[in-house]
Amino acid sequence: MIFNYVRADLIRNPRRSLTTVAGVFLGIALTCAVLFFVDGLSASLTQRAVAPLTIDMQRILTKTSADLQLDLFISSSGPQASGSVVEVAMSFKNNSSTPANEVVIRSLPNDSLKYVLGSALLNNQAINPGQGNPFASGTVKSGLNIGTVAPGAVVELHYRVELLSNSAVSEQSIDTSFSTREVLYPVKANHYKQLAQADIADRIRKLHGIKFAEQLSIADLAPGSLHSATTAAGTARIFGFDSSYPQHDKSVKILKGSGQPRAAMISAEIADKLSLGIGDSILIDLPDNTKITKTISGIVDLSGARSLFSSRQGADLETFVYVPNSVVLDIQGFSKDILPAFDRASTTRGERIKSQPIREIDIGIEREMLNAEPSVALKQTEQISGSIKGIEGGGEDFLLDHISNTLKVATDDAKVAKQMFIFLGLPGVILAAILAAYAGLVLSSAQRREQATLRIRGASRKHLLSMLTLRVSLITAVGAVIGVGLGFATSVLVVGLDNLLRATRASLLISAIIGTLAGLLATGLALYFTGRKSINREINNDRAKLVSIRPIWQKYWLDVVGIMIVVAVTVLVIKNSGFRGEPGSVYAGQSVKLSLGLLVLPIAAWLFGCLFGSRIFVWIVSWSKSSTTRMHTQPLHLLYGLSVRRRSWVLAQASFIIGLIIAIGTSLAIFTTSYHGAKNADARYVNGSDIRISPTAASKHAYKSSDATKFQVDTIDSVTPVIYGVHNIVLHSNRTEEIANLAALNPSEYARTAMFENAHFSNGSAKKSLELLAKKPGAILLSSDMADFLQVKVGDRINVLLASSTPDQVEVELTVVGLFEKLPGFPDGADALMNIATYEAAVPTSSVAFFLAQTTDKSDASLERLTRSLRNTIGVEDALQIETRQTALAKDQSSLAALNINGLLKIDSGYSLAMSVTVIIIFVFGLLLSRRREYVTLRAQGMSAGSIRLLICAEAATSALAGTLIGLPVGLVMSYYFINVLRPLFVLTPIFVIPFASLGVLLGLVAVTTLVASLAASSLVSRLKATELLRDE
Amino acid sequence: MTNPNSVSAKNIIVEYKTAHGIIRALDCPKFSAPAGASVAIMGPSGCGKSTLLGILAGLAVPTKGTVSIGAKNITTLSESKRVAFRKQHIGVVYQADNLLPFLNVFENIYLQLALCSDTSDANNRISDLLERLGLKGMESRLPDQLSGGQRQRVAIARAIIHKPDLILADEPTGALDGKNAVNVIELLVSIHEQLRSTLIVVTHDPSIANRLEQTVTLNSGGQQ
Repeated sequence: MIFNYVRADLIRNPRRSLTTVAGVFLGIALTCAVLFFVDGLSASLTQRAVAPLTIDMQRILTKTSADLQLDLFISSSGPQASGSVVEVAMSFKNNSSTPANEVVIRSLPNDSLKYVLGSALLNNQAINPGQGNPFASGTVKSGLNIGTVAPGAVVELHYRVELLSNSAVSEQSIDTSFSTREVLYPVKANHYKQLAQADIADRIRKLHGIKFAEQLSIADLAPGSLHSATTAAGTARIFGFDSSYPQHDKSVKILKGSGQPRAAMISAEIADKLSLGIGDSILIDLPDNTKITKTISGIVDLSGARSLFSSRQGADLETFVYVPNSVVLDIQGFSKDILPAFDRASTTRGERIKSQPIREIDIGIEREMLNAEPSVALKQTEQISGSIKGIEGGGEDFLLDHISNTLKVATDDAKVAKQMFIFLGLPGVILAAILAAYAGLVLSSAQRREQATLRIRGASRKHLLSMLTLRVSLITAVGAVIGVGLGFATSVLVVGLDNLLRATRASLLISAIIGTLAGLLATGLALYFTGRKSINREINNDRAKLVSIRPIWQKYWLDVVGIMIVVAVTVLVIKNSGFRGEPGSVYAGQSVKLSLGLLVLPIAAWLFGCLFGSRIFVWIVSWSKSSTTRMHTQPLHLLYGLSVRRRSWVLAQASFIIGLIIAIGTSLAIFTTSYHGAKNADARYVNGSDIRISPTAASKHAYKSSDATKFQVDTIDSVTPVIYGVHNIVLHSNRTEEIANLAALNPSEYARTAMFENAHFSNGSAKKSLELLAKKPGAILLSSDMADFLQVKVGDRINVLLASSTPDQVEVELTVVGLFEKLPGFPDGADALMNIATYEAAVPTSSVAFFLAQTTDKSDASLERLTRSLRNTIGVEDALQIETRQTALAKDQSSLAALNINGLLKIDSGYSLAMSVTVIIIFVFGLLLSRRREYVTLRAQGMSAGSIRLLICAEAATSALAGTLIGLPVGLVMSYYFINVLRPLFVLTPIFVIPFASLGVLLGLVAVTTLVASLAASSLVSRLKATELLRDE
Repeated sequence: MTNPNSVSAKNIIVEYKTAHGIIRALDCPKFSAPAGASVAIMGPSGCGKSTLLGILAGLAVPTKGTVSIGAKNITTLSESKRVAFRKQHIGVVYQADNLLPFLNVFENIYLQLALCSDTSDANNRISDLLERLGLKGMESRLPDQLSGGQRQRVAIARAIIHKPDLILADEPTGALDGKNAVNVIELLVSIHEQLRSTLIVVTHDPSIANRLEQTVTLNSGGQQ
């Protein structure tokens, strides 16, 4: 019976039911939408994170020992009795054409076996008779150095072991291996033949999920190794890769010709230096003092090829050191000509090759397969890397798994993103709960008479509570179904179905469950408790409280207490630098660490701030209470004035909720605008300025600083030439020396062109530091890390070898005038900064690495137009690379920087607006519901329906206006917290930007909603049945 | 010539459309109250007494028929003109006081004067009336600070402060005890006599009807 009653009640009061359900489903939809949105976004984080990678994995091969072999035999295997003696025979063969130097044989029986003293023989000659096992001697169990084994020679070794207990014996019972000067890692005895580089690449290619596996070999040659008629000064590098390699790594650009078997491609720089073209020959000196000549089949630009010039060493992994003098051979040519030369050089007694050739397989993963969130993609790549590692090559190869490392960071970032977005979406859930409570309040006030009637007819409190529970359950159940559907639809609209479906089903299901539970709990409980409170209240008590219901928080000053706590915590956090998290970097393998716990502060500031605003509103409208002796002669003024003053808490309630909504809208609008501003500023920071013009290897001539005027076109107002290079100087202090990256530029122009973070300078001012550099010709700024390493401080003098390893190198003495942490425009890092005038005076032949240009019009559209124009003019005249702050966006930042904050704004703003509309509708219809008797009385007294409508609109407008005035400052405060908590996402401190246009739209929408809802609701006034309502007691 | 505050209703029919068809709530071929008369409308529950009063007050429009107050046929007036006519010429008292809860006694009465744009000397006029109604000193009290009888007297004060030609009362004593009921009806009669206005009271209490000059009894469906 109760069910039928509740069902009929909900169906027969559709407006009331729908309004209440709206509060619930909006809350659930918002929560689900935010969670689904994060799921979809996580998937896009994967693509964003892996996009910059050209090579996903690199299997670095160790030097082959394919032609060296150690065989191990035992005289008897299987179970043996204690005290039995087993013969161990080893045979080392050098099948190669070069000697094996310093061959060390190590053989260590396990604990159940004991070396028989004096049993060791080398080519049947006793070794160290009477002493311990010579193949595992000393505490470190080092092996026996048998010296050089000539090509084709065989060395026989023997010893005996005795069983200490009854046990089984096999070859595996004796740990036996060899190493040589050339093969540094221990190679196990009886090891099968090692796989060749091509075989490993073939096997990798066959694995599931592999897009490509390219062989790459790299060898460094001594300075002056490349010749034609003249010799190219400086170190040289020689590569071996097939013509398919540049298809996968687009940073390898073939400018002319192509890669051909048995021929060579040369870098644009060497072509220029040696005046070589296609068809000419290049002479290459090899480390074994032999020479090879190669016909040139192509000219390449390798200046951007990070995969070729980045370090493979753990400590310097990813350090990019470009070698302009480069030659590319096909992989067979490299194996045939280069590797044997290095082998010969390294096996020649006394010769030491500084760096052995690197042989590797560069691997690309099928990116389409990674169409999932980072954690799922990570599992996939780790599985692939496991399979690659599982291919036994025979050596101690190692795998550089760039993609998994990147995805690990992205996985952590995705977690942070989820937490961050949930926090940003939390106000929406709280708002939905408040909205549901408000709807429940209005609903319960409308039901009080009905409840009283039911009580008179014999319904107990228990019956009423059962009805309430059932009603709330039905409303929340319907709300949950609509909410999840609406939430999904919203996230599809914002992130797109494809992105959303990239998330795992489990993830989407968990989001739906969490969203539903959070929304149900928040709204359901709010509805239930307001209803329960209403049941507990006697109907007659209501009349006494019609005039002004003073809420508990107001009575006990909870809002003021809350604000004081928020302020106190904020002061503490600022004092303890609590807003400082840890910036992240995909390159550094580090995810952003945000102090997300602090996001409680904006939520607290939001709630208490809006409550406090409501208190102020009530205080203001009650302020002129004493002036009632002067009555308005206009009935509308009279009624409005007295209604607002004496029922201020009713209006304050609606104003509070509208204030909450406006505050969310304001904070998100400010946060989003500031976030975008910071992202742009960071991109500009990475790029150095709005535009960066770099001469390339294919440029027709070297650019001088005087060429800067050529680029001063259109809306470009200043151009700064920068001389820069990786490892282009050597710094000498009294303690030590170090190779470093120097940038030389005009400090005054740089100060105007680039954006700086003052905190990145030791004296706290970028401007002052650059002024010092400008004023003192012999000044240099050093990075703090470099200063620490060199053990120098500000004021010290250091020697600097400029243009290091070039014919123009020159040493100058400079004074350290300041230190810095980071400089804008140097993604590969700058360790030192000096005045370009001083540099050019010392090295007159120096050429500019890039030009930084600043535009007068900062808009993205203008920048795009200008870039297009530059590419079509100077870009056509010469091969110049033109990068802008847009193309450089998030070059070395966390993948979090790519988050679609706009999407969150759309969701939150959309729902805020929907809730705002609902609140205003509830407020206006609530007024109509609770005051309909007043309105018909006024009609009976002779007040026109138009005046009554005006009265309703005026009260609604007052609430909306008060809510707006409350919400705006609270929103400002909230955005302060949001921006500060998310500060570690950026290099530069984000600037607080107030988007007046967006806020105007938000306020305009609230105003229009208020007007429309008020007019719609008040139009019902004339439909009220006056005769019946006036008769009701 | 018709007296300015006489009331006449002819062929009044009020019908409601419901899901089960059309229901006739009132069928009153003729009702009249001479100017300055006091008339009681009696009849069984559901006969349409209050509906008739609402139509006489211009709060509802009959499905058919005409209502004239003085020379004015109010059934042909637009809503806004009916409202304008009502605020100047009619005062209505209900069983429920229907006082505005956020206005005090003074303000509830003052509002009627403000609606009639007649606020000259309002303080004295209201003060005199309250004294006469035994409510002196209660000007600043809110409705919930008054007893039921006091509230009903304030409702009467509000209905007569603008000296209407026609006072309509729908069960004005229905929620009051015997003593308060007598006081209220005597007050209404006394004011009617003083203002020379027409008084029409809907009641089912014969003792109240006896205090008035005429009694009209409606049968079920509104027939006299």
